[in-house]
Amino acid sequence: MALLVVENLSVGYQTQKGYLHAVEGVSFSLEAGKSLGFVGESGCGKTTLGMALMRLLPSNGLIREGRILFDGEDLLQKTDEEMRQVRWQEIAMIFQAAMNALNPVHRIIDQIAEAILTHTPSLDKEEAYEQVRGLFQLVGLPEDRMRDYPHQYSGGMKQRAIIAMALACQPKLIIADEPTTALDVIVQDQILQETKSLQRELGISIIYISHDISIVADVCHDIGVMYAGQLVEYGARDEVFDSPTHPYTKALLSSYPTLTGEKSRLVPIPGETPNLIHPPPGCLFCDRCPQASVSCRTETPVWIEISPRHKTLCA
Amino acid sequence: MVRTMTDNGKKTILKLEHIVKRYRTKSSFFGTHGKDVIALNQVSIKINRGEIFGLVGESGSGKTTAGRLIARLEEPEEGEIYLNGNEITALKGKALREFRRKVQMIFQDPYQSLNPQISIFDAVSEPLIIHKIGNAQSRKDSVWQAMRSVGLSPPDDFAHRYPHQLSGGQRQRVAIARAMILKPEFVVADEPTSMLDASISAQIFNILLEMREKLNVSFLFITHSLAAARYLCDRIAVIYRGNLVEMGPGDEVIENPKHPYTQALIDALPKFGYSGEVKRYQTLLRKERGASEYVGCPFFGRCKLADQIKCGSEKPPLKRLGDSHSVACFYTEPGIKANSRGKL
Repeated sequence: MALLVVENLSVGYQTQKGYLHAVEGVSFSLEAGKSLGFVGESGCGKTTLGMALMRLLPSNGLIREGRILFDGEDLLQKTDEEMRQVRWQEIAMIFQAAMNALNPVHRIIDQIAEAILTHTPSLDKEEAYEQVRGLFQLVGLPEDRMRDYPHQYSGGMKQRAIIAMALACQPKLIIADEPTTALDVIVQDQILQETKSLQRELGISIIYISHDISIVADVCHDIGVMYAGQLVEYGARDEVFDSPTHPYTKALLSSYPTLTGEKSRLVPIPGETPNLIHPPPGCLFCDRCPQASVSCRTETPVWIEISPRHKTLCA
Repeated sequence: MVRTMTDNGKKTILKLEHIVKRYRTKSSFFGTHGKDVIALNQVSIKINRGEIFGLVGESGSGKTTAGRLIARLEEPEEGEIYLNGNEITALKGKALREFRRKVQMIFQDPYQSLNPQISIFDAVSEPLIIHKIGNAQSRKDSVWQAMRSVGLSPPDDFAHRYPHQLSGGQRQRVAIARAMILKPEFVVADEPTSMLDASISAQIFNILLEMREKLNVSFLFITHSLAAARYLCDRIAVIYRGNLVEMGPGDEVIENPKHPYTQALIDALPKFGYSGEVKRYQTLLRKERGASEYVGCPFFGRCKLADQIKCGSEKPPLKRLGDSHSVACFYTEPGIKANSRGKL
């Protein structure tokens, strides 16, 4: 059975100008031990989706409809207190700009121990420290740096500490929102390879959220491409990237410079993303789509199954 | 599509010779002493007219410092910078003003580089006013033309807006229009797309290529992305901790990298869009070895191929391998495949 099943999830924000449709009708599922990547450009709703899964939306955010089944239980039916038990223990999150997520006035060891002690109050401090030592080994940080403060760490080390913290309560699922954005490529590669091998060892499921296609292509089994709050293409990595079918996925791929192959002129996507407070009828991409026909402007696109492991939202 | 240019028969527009730039860190309240950080160490570069020259490196490698020195936002400690054969580090007064017209800069973050209280029209026309070029009517014409050339059309729609009413990509286009309106000869573009989405970055890249075609402007394109440099640049220089380690035509450096650091960079890039087998150089040491700062090869601490005695004590000079490909490594000779040593 799938670890996480999301059905028809719609999330929005109440703003001064009206209700903003940040995520509309997103459905997907994730098996235990697999990784799923959401790609899309800024404002496509990928971060909102991650926050909604954790039920950590800001106060003007609202999950309007849908179901989030985690291990068979609907997270949206849980009380705040029950949800607190799920967070970190079952689902952990690596936030965007994680390097700033560490508290500058506490030692790293205490910050990680705090996460352990909060969720397992039966442990004493020494036992928690012992676990932190194990986590440091796991993520490849030197043990003699456990008592350092965050400012004594480099960017890559902070990121490893954040990953250690996410692993502290042995969650079944980690949501990683732009986990390597501020890092240099060599450090980024080390972190991604580390995460991949940790995933294999511990059998954790991971949801990666990134604007960088090449990263999700590197680490994920399945890919979801998001545009203007909707999932527009979803499926196994190879199928989505080798034979993309949605015009947005195609456009995104051809605007991306690569290191090999023919150096053809990059094709930018013309136009701007639609207004999500008053979304237009029909397909949200049709204004920028080279293949759009008259019916695209009026008819709501439906999911088409290309193969059992690949579907696309385009008519 | 991109014309590749070599040194031969091309006029040099910009030349950096043995540039050294140090920053002194402040001594801290807690008693640690201030120390020198070398941002650029003996850097020499020649850029040809009409060329897009890429400077690639990690954060802290000194690439932005190089751009700021060229735009005379800072001054080097040692070395000379020549624009069209004229030394610029000592320019003053009228000559400096004239220089500022010829050399422009596009900054990384369009959310910070535009004044939020100034309309787009005023922002783009400001350089003309500062340099006392034209009258009100001709300035308006120039602004309109500059805005059209970066795809902000019709200009009427944008001219009276303010930066907060524009998207990131549009703001960066305003910044480009502002840099281009003085018809500069040389433009320093410091990571102009790192804050933008891929589809928008491609627009900006294509605008820069067009500017080069139409106006024959030369660019220093500063970036951390080898893929972007490959797309845009004729030649690439790779910089590591203030030292140039490799320089050559874009395709050559990426397909046939010679310096262990360049090879490590290429190894580290996510392999996306590759067909067939991926070549791995594996030149990066898993655990950094101790190295004394500023002695020996800058990459010594992380290089798997390094020779303890030679590389740890002597800095390899940048030497030519072929027509236009140079590398600063003792263990790359002309004709020898650098990675043949890498297979352990």
